[in-house]
This record gives sequence, structure tokens and C-alpha cells, in this order.
Amino acid sequence: MSTLRNVDIILSARSLRHSFGQTEALRGIDLDIKAGEVLAIMGPSGSGKSTLLHCLAGVLTPDAGTVTYRPADGQPLVISSLSESNRSRLRLTDFGFVFQFGQLLPELSAADNVSLPLLLSGTKRREALHKSTELLDRLGLQGLGAKLPGELSGGQAQRVAVARALVTSPAVLFADEPTGALDSLASENVLTLMLELVREAGTTVVLITHDARTAAYSDREVVVRDGVVGTGYRVTA
Amino acid sequence: MNYAVLRMASLGSRSSFGRLAGIVGGTAVGACLLLLLWGGANGLTARDDRGAWLRETGQPSAVAGPSGDTSSPSPPVPVQLTAGTVLVEPNGSEIFRDHLIERRDVAALAGTTVGIPGVGKPPEPGDYVASPALQHLIDITPGDELGSRFGKFAGVIDDSALPGPDSLVVVRGATEAELRQNGRAVLISDFTRNPYGGSAAAYNTVLCVGALAVLFPVLLLISIVTGLGAAQRRERYASLRVIGASPRVVATIAAVETAVPSLIGAAVGTVLAVALRPAAALIPVNGSRMFVTDLSTGWMAAVVVVVVVVVASAFVAGHRTLRAGIGPLGVTRAAHEKRPAVWRAVPAAAGLAALAAAILADRSGEAVLMRVSSLLLIAGFLLVLVGIVAIGPWLTRLVSGLALKGARTADGVIAAGRIQRTPVATFRSVSGLVVAVFVVSVFAGGASVVASPKTPPATPGLMQPSSLSATIATGAKPDQVVETVRRAEETSGIRSAVIGYGPAALSERGAAREIYFPAGAAAALGFREFPAVDTVAVDGSFFYSWSVQPLELTAAPTGTLDGLVPVVVVIATDGTPAAVDRARTVLNTSGVTAAPAESPSDITLRSSGRLIQGLAVLAYLGMFVSIVIAGISLAVATASAMLDRRRVLGLMRLMGMPASVLRRVIAREAPVPLLTVVSLSVTLGFVVAWLMVTYVDDSYRLTWPAPEYFIVLGLSLILALGAVLATFGLTGRSTALPSTRFE
Repeated sequence: MSTLRNVDIILSARSLRHSFGQTEALRGIDLDIKAGEVLAIMGPSGSGKSTLLHCLAGVLTPDAGTVTYRPADGQPLVISSLSESNRSRLRLTDFGFVFQFGQLLPELSAADNVSLPLLLSGTKRREALHKSTELLDRLGLQGLGAKLPGELSGGQAQRVAVARALVTSPAVLFADEPTGALDSLASENVLTLMLELVREAGTTVVLITHDARTAAYSDREVVVRDGVVGTGYRVTA
Repeated sequence: MNYAVLRMASLGSRSSFGRLAGIVGGTAVGACLLLLLWGGANGLTARDDRGAWLRETGQPSAVAGPSGDTSSPSPPVPVQLTAGTVLVEPNGSEIFRDHLIERRDVAALAGTTVGIPGVGKPPEPGDYVASPALQHLIDITPGDELGSRFGKFAGVIDDSALPGPDSLVVVRGATEAELRQNGRAVLISDFTRNPYGGSAAAYNTVLCVGALAVLFPVLLLISIVTGLGAAQRRERYASLRVIGASPRVVATIAAVETAVPSLIGAAVGTVLAVALRPAAALIPVNGSRMFVTDLSTGWMAAVVVVVVVVVASAFVAGHRTLRAGIGPLGVTRAAHEKRPAVWRAVPAAAGLAALAAAILADRSGEAVLMRVSSLLLIAGFLLVLVGIVAIGPWLTRLVSGLALKGARTADGVIAAGRIQRTPVATFRSVSGLVVAVFVVSVFAGGASVVASPKTPPATPGLMQPSSLSATIATGAKPDQVVETVRRAEETSGIRSAVIGYGPAALSERGAAREIYFPAGAAAALGFREFPAVDTVAVDGSFFYSWSVQPLELTAAPTGTLDGLVPVVVVIATDGTPAAVDRARTVLNTSGVTAAPAESPSDITLRSSGRLIQGLAVLAYLGMFVSIVIAGISLAVATASAMLDRRRVLGLMRLMGMPASVLRRVIAREAPVPLLTVVSLSVTLGFVVAWLMVTYVDDSYRLTWPAPEYFIVLGLSLILALGAVLATFGLTGRSTALPSTRFE
């Protein structure tokens, strides 16, 4: 494992263990994630990479070990020991999420979908819609804010999901196979635009993928196999 | 088809059990209500049939005498009483407290062959037989208030001759001479089952409207529960299509997997209907509950209901699956509803216009226009009825559009957004409610015109509400009348008893229009002013129960009571119910009165308001059941919509959306359509009622409906919304983080 100065680390996992019944998904993972870096977590199906992401994001509480989040302007928080409501609040305010598919409410327009996290945080609707439209424009979706998800292509819908994840300016973006359901052209387009925005904002990205081409966009890769982080991961930047 | 495939498709996963339980519950409620309604219709007819003998009119007991001098016609000649006939005097206006008692006085020869239904041989003179409910009243009431009116108890009338368990019926034995005295008695040779004059037709009409109002939501409920978990099932069906199942096979699987729980549900509903019959029989219709056996439908009806429910639900499920066009790749994108257009407002507007046109046509004075006015009225009502179902989705979309524009919070945006995109489906779950609330609101509005007459306040110049009067029978001896008055004056609670005089009994030719009293009786009659003479007179209309115009006492033209005969007795009481009933007993057992005593307050018992109140009970019950079912449908539809969106809502929760937002989404999604359509139905219902009563008579004024209407409406809405709130737990669980992670 690379040694990183403590001050640079935004998320760190220590001795993470998590089981589903008899199946051990994580078997003592240690991982540090640097502020502003794009980290790709790779591994075959069932290796535990999604479980690791969920533990890092506070979706799951590990059976053992800790996850610590160090916000830029606050005291470190041990996510794994927070209550469910506090973890929910943290996910809403500090984290963003992009999934493979099916994350947009089909009855709401693209702009309304994007504005939801802002509304949940208490932003006024007019302001939320304004911000959303701005972000959609930056993601190449000019004039599509009023469209329903069903009226958009797969790539466009995924960019809407990216906009929704980034609209609250999160410190960390968790992306679980964000381009897994897209063709290579759309995939490249989404990743390029997403990374352009996050690098500009200095957002940390934790990217789950089993596709080497997707992982190539990252600053650093770690491989998870059988619930442990493999050795010899690549550092590209 | 392969049994194993069917079994796998029906019970393929644990999540199927929730859906199957939903179908069982929905069809059970539906089948139960259908059977209870069927039983109700049977019961009303059976009740009318059993009470038919009380409506028997018979033949006159006297015929006109041989014609002679036209200026003084011969007195009527009595028709002889034989062994094949009985002499019956109907006294339907026997009153105790606020109960009307069906009283029949019967005289028969010793060897009569005529049997009285539920009684057999007529009671001996001085004896009586009573229905169990009346006998119970007699047993718990002092004799001088009720029991003494009838004589000696000789048995109870069998249930087979009583409309219901609360029926108050008495058959009193009398002598032939006694009954011939008034000339009102009729000769009856056979108490045939008179099919005319019953109230079942009126009640059955209401029942039919009620059945439609309830049936529609029930069918919708069944339709909605069969659609539960549609999203997950589409995935399963797509898997079957991948491995080679044709669309028809998939539709058959959908039909069978619905038919099986529907069959169980319908069977449960049948058992439930049998179990609920005693409770349903407690509902008073036309003043009496029903016998539990009246609500029985027989096993054939149960079989028909079960078959109809099962076939209908299986057909709906199969047809819906076939129409969904599920391919091997599933339904990749949800088909969006067509936006409801503004034309949907046209039928309701046309209906209102037709009703208004009906009024104008009726008032035009043109014969042709007046003839078409009634057609316009009916067409207008039907157009509005169809119109509110048509306008519903458009209005739902309109309201949700406004709500979406004005939404400030995430839950507001999510809820209004869904209704905005699916107004037809959203409205469908409450459309049954529209019909029920609309029809009942028209009824309640119309009924408000037929205000129940109230007992007039004590006013000088009018018969006092606490007083009673009875006309004296022809041939009654003055001594007997004086004795009756003396007995009355000795009775507790009676303040005064006075006799009114005239040249002849009121039923006789030669009776005067005015009634004469000694001047000292003026105060007892409620007059404050009277001429300073010995004998005063008042118009005979003073004793009509419907008189509202105060009269004055005048000086009697005769100046004296000499040569006059008693024609009426007036008793003033202290106004307590017991005293009034004691006065009735004194008068009705005196043997000198031509008809039972009457009080101005009796008018409330005989008014059409009673029928309206009876119908209102059924109407409000129908509305209550309908709204509650609509509430359940709405809850199921809301839960179903939530389950279909469980992945996306679960992911939202994963992103940090609190569970409370989800609860608020439900709390907004369900009440918006519910309150919108209820407001629409209530408003249109009263507008239509106003137009219809205006058509009948310009002078009619709609007033606020009975409080029961608002109570039932409010209670139903609370229960319906309660059913929606009950889905909180289910949706909370289904979108919990662990559930979402493994979606």
C-alpha cells in the first residue's frame, strides 16, 4: 500500500470485514483514498468491490473495522459508528452516487430529477432548478431539462444521473459501474464529461468497474479479489 | 400447459405470496359485498311478501241502500258476516311514543274458516295477539300507557307474518257490532299476498344504485390487486418468453395464477358473507331490522358469485398481460399514458347545460318544449354521471400540474410528478368513489328539500302539540262521552278534557263545519282571547294536523249547546310522553271514538320524511362502503406504484433521502386524487340536485343535507386515508437499504 500523508486522505478504511450470512465479502481491507484523486476499484464479479463501496459510503455498516471520513473543513468522522440518520445526512450532503442504471424517477423531468438532492437539502425549488439546468448544460444536455428519462438515450440518462450526483458539489463521488450499461462511445462521453467536472471541482471519485478501459481514466487502481485488496496496484498519476 | 411451469410461475418466489395475499383479500371483500347486496335485495322482497296481509283492503262491509228519495238517501245496508269472511277494521294510526303500530281489529263468527297469517283463528273479542317486539313494549310499559288499549294477551304473531323483527303489529278481537259502528271495517275472505303497496320497489331501486356504486369500486379493487407487483412479474414473464413461451401461454399463466387466489378469496368472501349476515341484518330499513334468514341467498347465488369473481379476475389478468406485449427482452421502457385532453370536460358541461335547458323548456309554456323537458332532465343527469368519470383524469392532471408548479419540497415534486404523468391510472383507483359520492350527494341534496315536518310550537289559535283529539263515532251515547271525559280528568298527567258539540256526528250527513264549545273550554283549547258569550265556535279545520293558520273563537250562532251532540273530545296533557300515551289509551278504549286519537305532533311520524330517512340509511351505507373500498384501492394502488419504483426510490434512499420523505410522498400521492374527486363529486352532486328540484318546483330551496351525510363522508375519508397510511410500513421496508442493495 502506498504511504500517503494523513492530511491528504479523505477516506480511510481499516481492517474492514463484512459478511452476508456464511459468505465473507470483505476480509480485512485497509485502504486510503486521497482527496481529489480518482480511484478505480477493480475486480471480478463477487469479489466484494460493491460491498467495499457501500461500506466506504456508509450504506452498509461493516461487521468489523472502521471507515473514517475527513472533510476538508471539519473533524474526522468515523462513518461506521454513525447512526443511520447521520449517515443518511452525510450521504446527502457530502457524497454523490452514480449507478449503472434505473436511478432516475421516470415520472420526473431531467431537471426535476437533478434538483431532488438540492430540495432534500432545503434549497428553494427555483434555485435548485436553475442550478440543475446549468449543470445539465455543462454536461451537454442543453434543452433537455424538460424531457422525461424515458425520452432520453441511455448515455443522456446517465449524464442526468451524473448531474444529480454532482449538483450538491459533493466531496466524494461514488460511481458503481457508471458506464456498465452503455456502448463504448457513450461510455467514453459520459466518463470524459464526468471526470472533467470532478477534476475541476477537486471532487474525489471512487469508481467501481471491471472494465480496464474505464479504469484507465482513473489516477489509481486497486484490485479487490476474494474480499481483500490485491497487491501491486497501479498508480497512473 | 406444463403443470410445473404453471406452479413455478404462480409461486415462483417468496415475494409472490404478498401479491397472492392481496388478491385473496381483494376478491374476498368483493365476493362478500356482492353476496350481502344480493341477500339485501332478497330480504326486501321477502319482507314485503310477509307483510302483504297488512295491506289487504278487502270488500266494503256495507252497500248503498235501495234508492228512494234523493234528498234523503237510504242508509247503507250491511253485508252479512259469514263463516267465510272476517270483519276487519284497519287502525294503522295507533301510536305509542314515536312508534306507529299496525293495528287490526277483527270480528269473526265462531265457526269462521278464515285464518289470519301468523295467528290462525282470530282472537276472541277482548283478546289480542301481538308481534314479539310490540309485546315486549307492552311488557315493559305501564298498562294505562299501552297494554290496556288492546285487552287480554292471547299469544304472539308468528315471524312468518311479520316484515321484520322490530315490526309492531297487533290483532285485536272485537265484536261485530263494535266494528260496524264506524263503517270503516271491511270484509276479508282471504288474506292474499297482496303484491301492491310494498316498499321493496323503492328500496330495491336504491339498492340497485347502491349496488352499482359499490360494485364498481369492488371490481376496480379486484382489478388493482391483480395488478400488484406488475413490474416484477413482467420480468418473470419476459424470462418465460426467452425460453420459448408464446404470448398466449404467458397470458394463460397470468390468468391461472390470478384465478387460484381469486377462487380462495371468493370462497373466503362467501364464508365472510355468511358470518356477517347477523351484523348486516341489524341495519334498519324502513324502521325495522331484517331477519337474518332474509339475507340468505342460497348456495346457487354463492356459486354464481364465486364463478363470476374468479372468471372476471382471471380474464382481466390474462387480457392485461396479453395487451402489455411482453417480449423476450421484457418491457424495456414504460409506456406513458396519453395526456387527458380537455374534451373530457365536455360531457359534464353538456349534462349541466341539458339540466338547465330542461328547466327553461319546462317554464317556456310551449307544449312541445315541455314534453322534451323530462327527457332533457334524464339525459342531463346521465351525462353528468358519465361526465364526472370522464373529467376525472383531466382534473387530476390539472390539479397535480398546479401542485407540481407550486411544489417546494422533494416529496411534493415526486408525488405531483407521478400523478401528473399517470392521471388516468391514479384516477382509476378512485373512480368508483366518484359515482357513489355523486349519486348520494344528489340524493342528500334532493332530500334536503323534503324537510321532515316538525311538531309546530304551541301557538294560540292552533291545536296544542301536547293535546289530543278524537272524533266521536256515530251513535255514541252522550253519557258514554261524558264518562270518557271524567275518566280522562282522573288520569295522571291530563290537565283537562273538553267535549266539542255539533248538530250531528262529523261522519254524518248534516254535520256542521264549526264545532261548538262551552266558553269555559277556551283556555283548555289553547285560546287566550274569546268572545264574552256562553258558547263559542271554532272552524273544524282546527283539528287538522296540518293546520298552520291560527284560528279565532267566535260566538256560536246557536248561543247554546242544547240539542247538539258530542262530536269531538279534546284532551290537554302536561306534554310528557307518558301522559300523551295515557290520554290515547283513555280515548282509544272508550268505545265512543270513530278513529284513534290524534295529536299535532303525530305528523312527524307519518311524513314522507320517514321514507327519505329510511332510504338515506341505505344511501349513506353505500357511500361509506364505497369510499372505504376506494380508500383500500388507493392504498393498494399507491403501494403497488411504490413497489414498482422500489429500485429507484431505494437508490434515492441510498443517496441519503430519509425514509420520512418517502412517507410524505405517499401522504401526498394518495389524498390529492381522493380529495379532488370527492370535492368534484360533492359539488356536482349538489349542483345537479339543485337543478333537478328547481325543475320540479321553483319554490323549493336546497338546504344543508342531514348531518349524517357529513358524518359518513368525513368518517369514510378518515378510514380511506387510514388505509393509505397503513402502506407506510410496507414501502419503508421495501426500500430499505439492504433490500435495494440486492435488487
